[in-house]
Amino acid sequence: MLARTALAVSLLSLAACQSTGPQTAAPAAPAAAPAAAPPPAWQQGRSPDQANSKLAPHAGRMTATPASEIPIANYKLPPGFKAEVWATGIPGARAMVRGDSGKIYIGTRAIGRVYEVTDTGAQRTSRVVVDKLNQPAGVAMKDGALYVIAIDKALRFDGIEKNPNVAPVDMTAAFKLPKEQHHNWKYIAFGPDGKLYVPFGAPCNICEPPAEYAQIRRYNADGSGMEVIARGVRNTQGFAWHPATKEMWFTDHGRDWMGDDTPEDELNRLTKHGDFYGFPYCHANGVPDKDIKKPNPCDGVTLPVATMGPHAAAMGVHFYTGNMFPAEYRNVMFVARKGSWNRTKKFGFDVVTVRMDADGKNAKIEPFMTGFLDPASDTFSGRPTYFLQLPDGSLLVSDEQLGAIYRITYAR
Amino acid sequence: MRAERVAGAVALATAWLVAASHAAAQPRSELVAACTACHGPGGNSQTASVPSLAGQPKLFIENQLVLIREGLREVAAMRESMSGVTDETIVALATHFAAQPPAPKPVQTDTDKARRGEATAHRMLCGTCHLPDYTGQKQVPRLAGQDEGYLLQAMKQLRDAPGPGRDTIMAAALYGLTDAVLADLAHYFAGLKP
Repeated sequence: MLARTALAVSLLSLAACQSTGPQTAAPAAPAAAPAAAPPPAWQQGRSPDQANSKLAPHAGRMTATPASEIPIANYKLPPGFKAEVWATGIPGARAMVRGDSGKIYIGTRAIGRVYEVTDTGAQRTSRVVVDKLNQPAGVAMKDGALYVIAIDKALRFDGIEKNPNVAPVDMTAAFKLPKEQHHNWKYIAFGPDGKLYVPFGAPCNICEPPAEYAQIRRYNADGSGMEVIARGVRNTQGFAWHPATKEMWFTDHGRDWMGDDTPEDELNRLTKHGDFYGFPYCHANGVPDKDIKKPNPCDGVTLPVATMGPHAAAMGVHFYTGNMFPAEYRNVMFVARKGSWNRTKKFGFDVVTVRMDADGKNAKIEPFMTGFLDPASDTFSGRPTYFLQLPDGSLLVSDEQLGAIYRITYAR
Repeated sequence: MRAERVAGAVALATAWLVAASHAAAQPRSELVAACTACHGPGGNSQTASVPSLAGQPKLFIENQLVLIREGLREVAAMRESMSGVTDETIVALATHFAAQPPAPKPVQTDTDKARRGEATAHRMLCGTCHLPDYTGQKQVPRLAGQDEGYLLQAMKQLRDAPGPGRDTIMAAALYGLTDAVLADLAHYFAGLKP
């Protein structure tokens, strides 16, 4: 019976296939298409001597990675710390937020989903809250509502923990999201002022960005009252507020195709609203751009507190405020470095700590979680991206490549 | 009448793909047959504008099947058959078709057109990601020996409607290219030894 069904299906599928015939062509192109195409964003700024380079952005994985394929034993942490696989089957897992009743919400890029993870104690279960969105990487929680910002959409799910099937409120119009896609997937967060902070990356590798890009804005929770609070920011994918000073710290990705070792990614401190952080003229700790030039390119630029390594892709940042880790970790910053593509030998693919003076000086960067990268073969298994501190003081780390969440604990 | 029968068959195929998705890493032969009905024996397409799957990178097949299942990449002919298919099944199918040898396809080459396509491919640095012999890698598809009509249609879609979930990198790569230039590219790639 099965064989007969199979044959019928196969034959009819073939009929279906043939009846479809040649696919209809896409709509005709506009008559006046520009003659010369600009290079794609990631290739901009690439010099002729780099034409034969094989460097290209790494592949993401969009299928679930079984727990048995996650090399947890390879990960290395300082003495007393331990990593466990806390959740799997969340392809593309990036930023995480926690609701009041303990549910975790997780944004993604290409797969277009926002996940919800419920911890039942012994295990974690997950479901898809919303899908088919255009890179819904930005998630935030306020007053029981989940905020999701994709490249072209802003949604709010009121009371989602109590009402899992609540229909979202569409707030897209209020946020006035510009149309360019490149570097405009979001990390978002509510600040201590109750405002929602939203970055708008430069839609290129290197360019004079249009006025609405290369900046960080803040909004009232309903999308009103927009203010640009930082300018000249190429592509920030992570920020957090210092627990004592309440100042905002943010990472910023350096441009590509200026060589293996420059410019490095930045770790910035926002001390004054409206400050200019250098893009596209001045990168890292004072490196003039090789393509977009002007006299004294670093004049008036707020330089970073620390540089985070070349092409490191410094992502999420988190100031540790829990009681589980040793006292010397209190208010220490954790930074996830997703790892390089535009570099002959791979760099990053780890979690580091940053310790600095109260005024942000003398930053010291040390490895915390390593083992995602195998230096001998120059290959990587996972890519750490974001953090979430749990009430017990343990720290969740998401791995975008393997669609997993690790939990870091400490015991003497 | 015919349309109804076809729709019924697709629904049946869907139910059966879902049932089959509980199987282990090896895809069932019936499942593979459901793909090869359109995509050709061993995943080498015999039908105009239907892409070959043979020898495509495993990750590329996985990612595209996920995008089609999620409705992020609109392929009307595949929408129903991918509905509810599990990740495990997708990985098994991708593993299978990535391992099939791509067969050369008889192509009538227009030398001038192919030469123009080659020059454009070189200027646009297509070989950085698709590799210099255009055999593809990881998430990046093999172009060499792919069906010409499919290549043209796929490039037009990437140019005109990047759409949700699609790679912003590839969308930008084709921005502003005319239909004629895309046709040259498609002709050049289709004529290469797979």
